[in-house]
Amino acid sequence: MPLPRLLAWLLLLPSALLLGLVFLLPLGWFLGNALGELGSGSEILSEALAIAGSRAMQRSMLVTGEISLATTLCCLAIGYPLAFALTRAKGLMFRLVIASVLLPYFTSVIVRTYAWMVLLGRTGVVNNALQAIGVTQGPLSLLYNRGSVILGMTYVLLPYMVLTLFSAMRSVDMRLLQAAAGMGASGARIFLRVFLPLTLHGVIAGSLLVFILAIGFFITPALMGAPEDMMVGMLIERQVEQANNWPVAAVMSLVLLAVTMVVYAVYSRFADIRRANPA
Amino acid sequence: MTKPIVTGRRAVIAGALATPFIWRPARAAQQLVIRTTGGVYDDIMRRSVYDGFTKATGIEVVTAAATMSKLIAMYKAGGAEFDIIDTGDSGLLNLERLGALLPIDYASWKYGNPDEIIKELKFPYRVGSYVYATVSTYNKQAFPDKHPSNWAEFWDIKAFPGPRSLPDMGSGQPPLELALIADGVAPDKLYPIDLDRAFKSLTRIRPAVPKFWDTGALSAQMLSDKEVVLSAVWNGRVQTLIDKGAPLAIEWNQNMIQVQAYGVPKLSSNPKGAQLFVDYASQASAQVGYAKELRYGPSNTKAYAMLPQDLLDIMPGGPKYRDLGFYQKIDWWEDNRDRVTKAWSNWVLG
Amino acid sequence: MTAGAVALERVSKRFGGVAAVEDLSIAVAPGEFFTILGPSGSGKSTTLSMIAGFEVPDSGRILLGGQDMTRAAPRARGLGMVFQNYAIFPHLDVFENVAFPLRARGQKDVTARVMEALATVRLQGMERRYGRQLSGGQQQRVALARAIVARSAIVLMDEPLGALDKNLRYHMQTEIADIQRRLGMTVIFVTHDQEEAMNLSDRIAIMEGGRMIQAGAPREVYERPVNAFVARFLGESNLIAGVAEGAALRRADGTYLAAANVGTPGAASLFVRPEKVRLGAGSENSLSGRVLRSSFLGTLIRTEIDVGGDQVMTVDATNGPGMQALVPGAAAIVSWAAADSRLLAA
Repeated sequence: MPLPRLLAWLLLLPSALLLGLVFLLPLGWFLGNALGELGSGSEILSEALAIAGSRAMQRSMLVTGEISLATTLCCLAIGYPLAFALTRAKGLMFRLVIASVLLPYFTSVIVRTYAWMVLLGRTGVVNNALQAIGVTQGPLSLLYNRGSVILGMTYVLLPYMVLTLFSAMRSVDMRLLQAAAGMGASGARIFLRVFLPLTLHGVIAGSLLVFILAIGFFITPALMGAPEDMMVGMLIERQVEQANNWPVAAVMSLVLLAVTMVVYAVYSRFADIRRANPA
Repeated sequence: MTKPIVTGRRAVIAGALATPFIWRPARAAQQLVIRTTGGVYDDIMRRSVYDGFTKATGIEVVTAAATMSKLIAMYKAGGAEFDIIDTGDSGLLNLERLGALLPIDYASWKYGNPDEIIKELKFPYRVGSYVYATVSTYNKQAFPDKHPSNWAEFWDIKAFPGPRSLPDMGSGQPPLELALIADGVAPDKLYPIDLDRAFKSLTRIRPAVPKFWDTGALSAQMLSDKEVVLSAVWNGRVQTLIDKGAPLAIEWNQNMIQVQAYGVPKLSSNPKGAQLFVDYASQASAQVGYAKELRYGPSNTKAYAMLPQDLLDIMPGGPKYRDLGFYQKIDWWEDNRDRVTKAWSNWVLG
Repeated sequence: MTAGAVALERVSKRFGGVAAVEDLSIAVAPGEFFTILGPSGSGKSTTLSMIAGFEVPDSGRILLGGQDMTRAAPRARGLGMVFQNYAIFPHLDVFENVAFPLRARGQKDVTARVMEALATVRLQGMERRYGRQLSGGQQQRVALARAIVARSAIVLMDEPLGALDKNLRYHMQTEIADIQRRLGMTVIFVTHDQEEAMNLSDRIAIMEGGRMIQAGAPREVYERPVNAFVARFLGESNLIAGVAEGAALRRADGTYLAAANVGTPGAASLFVRPEKVRLGAGSENSLSGRVLRSSFLGTLIRTEIDVGGDQVMTVDATNGPGMQALVPGAAAIVSWAAADSRLLAA
């Protein structure tokens, strides 16, 4: 039911103001002034191209893309069945699963990451257990590699995927699945031909959300990654905190923002958010 | 690609970002705000310095934390909230070059005596409070008989196998000096640092480095969890672990001495009180307390006489290890920070 | 020839201790249009779910085409189905919706058979539309086409016309009946609408509280209900209270009314349909009283007459030439034949 146009705008106003005041205004100010130090528009552009073309930035973008993509796929692989289980769980079970999905948000990223270190370290729980039951002889290097970064980021970002998928799955009329079974469809066919297509907009939205959030990560890869797992966010943080070079940080941020916008544009071309939710 | 740091316009941005750090309405004149690293450090300094200072002068001391980038942003915004900055001397040099600091008023000292301060720690715009050292630390279980006795052996991953760690760029200073010494450069011939040579040397040790540490906490964590059996860490961090019974030991040979110092910001609203604090904190008796707890060497030469022998045996800057070590040259770092940051990123990303 | 036979043998199903279906036995012949009629909560939908395989009975057997399918998966049963609210797949167009049962069963000639089914329900030209672009009646036809496309011998229909308005519903009833006869399929039809049930069915089973109360041809259950529930549920009825004595009802005032059957001794009701009652004196049962109200219903004129002893008789007379409605308060006599009335246990 469409709201009257004026009312819709009025309802939008508080969030627009908040976003404008605490996000867009300072961001614009920072970028404008930081870039202003570089000089004219063409100088900014040549600086941006130089940074975007630099070996470190390209390597880092590649690393960022790989880690973000892998994280997104892991979130999807874990989140899809989890979200489905949530649609079927009731009462206490539902609350338990929701609580364990949301738990990461009640602790700081540092605590969470140290928890991973306790689990995955050379003398950590996993390594001790593996050696105790004789699977491995010496400790495995489970920490400080690409895999542990992806694991840590998946853990942090999983709730975004699960909640997005959950709401998409909740809107699926479960009688359609029963109907499909009644018409002779196997479980696999029901999933592939009915349930998956009906939740595809959730898959796309959740993946996009996780991917965009992952692109900007820097704490988890800094703590859990190998030295070469340097994501763009870390590169930017170094420019601000170590080199005190804000113009370069601003240009790097813009490059990252541009990539994010491209991802978003691709997404909105293929999925119309309003149409995607079948009535 | 990079440019000198200071320009007028950045002050405007800095103002936008930096203003709301500390809320301090109409501050009483009898109060000083000091920038520290926070945490346990504050408690130790309060016990050993601040309380005594308040008792002697009636001036309260309030602490707050801020990173160097925030301090710089604050200064540029024209809103320094601090009266005293207690930080690594490279940060203070950075601020000094921005023109953000007042000279230390050595002439007015009445508690301390400038002649008692170690000469390497005495500067016009900053005065050292203590020295700490980046030392080679090894796990005694991993190296029961023979351990790396210098940086060259630390770098020798064949003769001394095992995972090891070194400081990351994120810690402030990557181990360029150590890399050069490991490659055969004499400690008095390190500067100006040959970046190419340093990174080539780092490349040799990298296969044995699962992780470079960026915070003191992580460096200690990795040693106590046996993630690494060899590490270049700040001596205070590892001493705490040793005191708790960790099977670790320090090799003091070629320790790199670094300096913690005080500076007084130009925009301090109580510069007189701040100078008085620096004076008070520089006397030997005020330094003994934290030297004992932090295991860092006091900047006042007279303070060493007040420390027990067992502490002197584990203290940088003390008679036992001063000659084994070398001072890190901060000026070079401040001249080359941008270059090093870039080179580090390139090296790390391969 | 037995492919279309459906049999339920002493089937029971409980949900959390509450009996949804109890000791239900039904035998549906091939090609029969069999309706399960009952109010909501009577167990009719559970019964259909068990035939479809969405629910498994706690006890009893379900035979489809003579084979025990009590525990078979829905897909193994080979049924056609029309679902409540149609269950049209929103992400598939009309063609793919109708093709779904064929593809699910790996059948051949998909295009030809989908086209044929769409022609049967008169939906040609709509193949590329989606459910949201169709009217309620068109959606219903898609659902119907999907139920018949695989040429299942047995088709289940769960309140298929519930969402349509009255005119369209009557129209669709005719179409469903036509298609069913043309294709010779067995239909098990669930509804709570008694007119729909009588219009469509070869036989109707009336359920209440999980049990089947009566099953029979529409006319039989309408005119010879086994109890007051069935009598009331299938349209208007007069139920006169009294005590059964042989083939007669003795009223409280001591008068007797004759019935076509011998009642169970004890408290009873005499049942007669309003359209079997005449205004005016008659030779068999008659009662006199005063007109309470008269309602004009188009083809019918319904008169309610207070005949004393808290008893109101409803009389339906077909509207015809010169027909007048009676004025409230006027004296009136009603009469009916013993053959049209039955004694029901109270």
